[in-house]
Amino acid sequence: MPDPLKGAATNRRQFLALTGLGALAAASGGALVGCSSNKPSGPGTTSANDLSKILPQYIPNTAVKPDVAGVAGPGGAVSDAVFLKYPSSPVKTVASVPGKGGSYTTMTPLWGAIPPSSGNSYYDAVNKAIGASLKLQPADGNTYGDKLPPLFAADKLPDWIQIPGWNTNNLNFGQGVSKFADLTPYLAGDKVKEYLNLANIPTAAWAPCVWNSKLYGLPVYPGGGGINGAYFFRRDIFEKLGIKADSIKTADDLAALGAQLTSTAANQWAFDDLFGNDAAYICQMFKFPSKWGLDGSGKLIHKYEHEGLIEALNWHAKVVKAGHVHPDAVAGNNQNAKQRFWSGHVTVAADGTGAWNGDDAKSGTAANPNYRRAAFKLLSASGAPTIELRPGAGMFGYLNGNLKPEQIKECLAIANYLAAPYGSAEWLTVNFGTEGDTYTMQDGNPVLTEKGGKEVATTFQFLVTPPTPTTVQAGFVDVAKDYGAWQADMVKYAMKPPFFAMNITEPSQYSSIGQAVNDTITDVKFGRKPISAFQEAVKTWKSQGGDALRAFYEDIRQKYGTGQ
Amino acid sequence: MSAITTEKVVVQPAVEQRRRLRWHDKLRRDRSLLIMATPAVLLLIVFSYLPMFGLVTAFQQYDIYYGFNNSPFVGGYQFARLFTDRLFWQALENTLVISAVQLVLYFPIPIALALMLNSIMSAKIRSFVQAVVYLPHFFSWVLVITIFQEVLGGAGPINHFLRENGMATWDIMTDPATFKYLVTAQAVWKEAGWGIIVFLAALAAIDQNLYEAAAADGAGRWRRLWHITLPGMRSVIVLLLVLRLGNALTVGFEQMLIQRQAVGRDASEVLDTFAYFYGVVNNNFSYGTAAGVFKGVLSLILIYAANKVAHVFGEDGLYRR
Repeated sequence: MPDPLKGAATNRRQFLALTGLGALAAASGGALVGCSSNKPSGPGTTSANDLSKILPQYIPNTAVKPDVAGVAGPGGAVSDAVFLKYPSSPVKTVASVPGKGGSYTTMTPLWGAIPPSSGNSYYDAVNKAIGASLKLQPADGNTYGDKLPPLFAADKLPDWIQIPGWNTNNLNFGQGVSKFADLTPYLAGDKVKEYLNLANIPTAAWAPCVWNSKLYGLPVYPGGGGINGAYFFRRDIFEKLGIKADSIKTADDLAALGAQLTSTAANQWAFDDLFGNDAAYICQMFKFPSKWGLDGSGKLIHKYEHEGLIEALNWHAKVVKAGHVHPDAVAGNNQNAKQRFWSGHVTVAADGTGAWNGDDAKSGTAANPNYRRAAFKLLSASGAPTIELRPGAGMFGYLNGNLKPEQIKECLAIANYLAAPYGSAEWLTVNFGTEGDTYTMQDGNPVLTEKGGKEVATTFQFLVTPPTPTTVQAGFVDVAKDYGAWQADMVKYAMKPPFFAMNITEPSQYSSIGQAVNDTITDVKFGRKPISAFQEAVKTWKSQGGDALRAFYEDIRQKYGTGQ
Repeated sequence: MSAITTEKVVVQPAVEQRRRLRWHDKLRRDRSLLIMATPAVLLLIVFSYLPMFGLVTAFQQYDIYYGFNNSPFVGGYQFARLFTDRLFWQALENTLVISAVQLVLYFPIPIALALMLNSIMSAKIRSFVQAVVYLPHFFSWVLVITIFQEVLGGAGPINHFLRENGMATWDIMTDPATFKYLVTAQAVWKEAGWGIIVFLAALAAIDQNLYEAAAADGAGRWRRLWHITLPGMRSVIVLLLVLRLGNALTVGFEQMLIQRQAVGRDASEVLDTFAYFYGVVNNNFSYGTAAGVFKGVLSLILIYAANKVAHVFGEDGLYRR
């Protein structure tokens, strides 16, 4: 039997953890002090002026030279450097063993199989190298957001935890972040010089680590060219059909490919879901903000109110109606989207740019030896394309506020080791373990052994990560080159959306008003409901708090600016 | 009249003697039964009764940082919001409709299956059929729905055949209008086989001599079914029906969650998913709990009423009156 009420289950855990006493006592206590202690908390935002005093100094490490340097675009965007080979004599960036034998609990999300925790030689190798014991506890990334509120409520946070930025909305994080250690005294300004590998992380990645004018987070997978995603196509199939991908520039061009690429007799459909969760992918093509934007008169406007979203919904519903979208995608099955793309059942799919890597090529060529992934250059429904830049980091490691200063220093020294840049000896240990055991060097690049494939997972890297270049994975050199070239072109169109990299906790009473609109968007994009249903839902959204949210953000704009 | 009076006189001393047993005598007498019941009672206390104190959040504006102690009390505010929420009523309506469809289309199937199985004479064939119909019970909902999608979905063999032969495709997996039948079909495929176990037990308990006697009196197959088998199963059927009604508002959380994108909220939102989306996903625990409390109270009323009706018709229901 399914859990009848997941909310009650969560409450149950919270309840048992909080008190062994009768809840009646708790309830009556609540009645006495409830109202007096429940002060509204602020949005957690920091002004640009305060930010400049807090952010760690940027001291780039130039010991290793990439094969292709990053390209700068507008708005501080910069593409990732490309390395085609790991440096043959990796430099050492950390002089001595950083840890002092401490033992720390951790928790990180993981999108993939959880490796064994005992007898894991990769875990052991990294723990030995850092001279401390990090007890890794990866948890399923897809349900990570549901696990966090009980941890906070019960005050059972581990010593070092990773929290993705998109999970902070539900945590009232402007308040919740105070449970973590304030790192300002250790890292602000030139204090970061004690941790040179952390100083090698660009300033843009530290900005979203700041809450309430204090530095709390450690950046995870920082990058200067982060975007929601891209429209990918099967280059091998396009070449076979003689379709020139560079000639596809507009949404209409893309839709026009539908008939040519769909052959139901051969079980091939042109498109997967091209919309993305919360319109994450299609907002680029139809030029509407992924959350808040500005209209012609400079007024704040939510994406729900933007003409572009209506156009996008009409366009997508038309493509679905024409039968050019794979039926499983229309049935909402996103888990198998990559398999559909690999097997060629789908030829065009929207995905995060992280999908374009050597492991993908490995899976794709296993299904079809000619498999080659490529992405369209930025598409646009009209005019020159633009693309919203994402903050310099999207996930963050936090240290527990109960740690003593000595322990914080030890953890930061460990963080400095984990943040050793690509090309260093430490990077190899953190990402691959021990040579000959969990990885071997092949054609100048590290490749996991069979044992490594089982034991190595993204775990330590999710606590803090150095700047992430584009590298050769699983031996696919072309993939690294293709992606590097595409990204270098893409950053030319980058723009910062309003409130860029600013941490803002919305008032919790508006937390669920978007759900109904989102559900309606799903119905309209698959053609189950007319566009008027969406407009109706937006009207309700506005009256339920959408307009109040605009006023809230307007107030933020007055007080803190828009992060431009 | 006099007979009844006499009977009373005879019965009363026995009752009084039973009452006079002191509690520790009773304890000694029922010792083993009580020990056997203890683990179940403990489980009930820890996982069902203690958590009920958490329902207090339905009357609060619960905040994870303030906890039960310090979250402000808002009285019936969450319920007032709930009862004016169109989406909540839609979830309730979907729940009741799906439940009704399942009651009519699902409930009789395990009974029919059990009767069929019972009439198979060959033990080999019987255990083979049993194994086949039990198996889907052990599949997860993700797997069951994937199998349905693979077979009946737009890219599955049936629609492929229809399309290639110029016929209209059958969009059962994404049609909101027929979703209630789809989920019932899935439930039948997954659980009906498992559901026959209890009925088989009931069938085994029927005295075989009755059949022989009836056959000797010239009763045919159908008459035996009607006059012996079904009456013999009646109390079990009524018991399960009453339990089913108590669970009427629980129509499958995962099953709805997984297929939400396929048919949309309007068809797939039930009370459990409503509480999940508006409670857990969107950090509004009090609101979700209020929906849960509503569901619990309604379920209690339903099971009480069903039990009453069973008693009126002279059945045992959940307990003997």
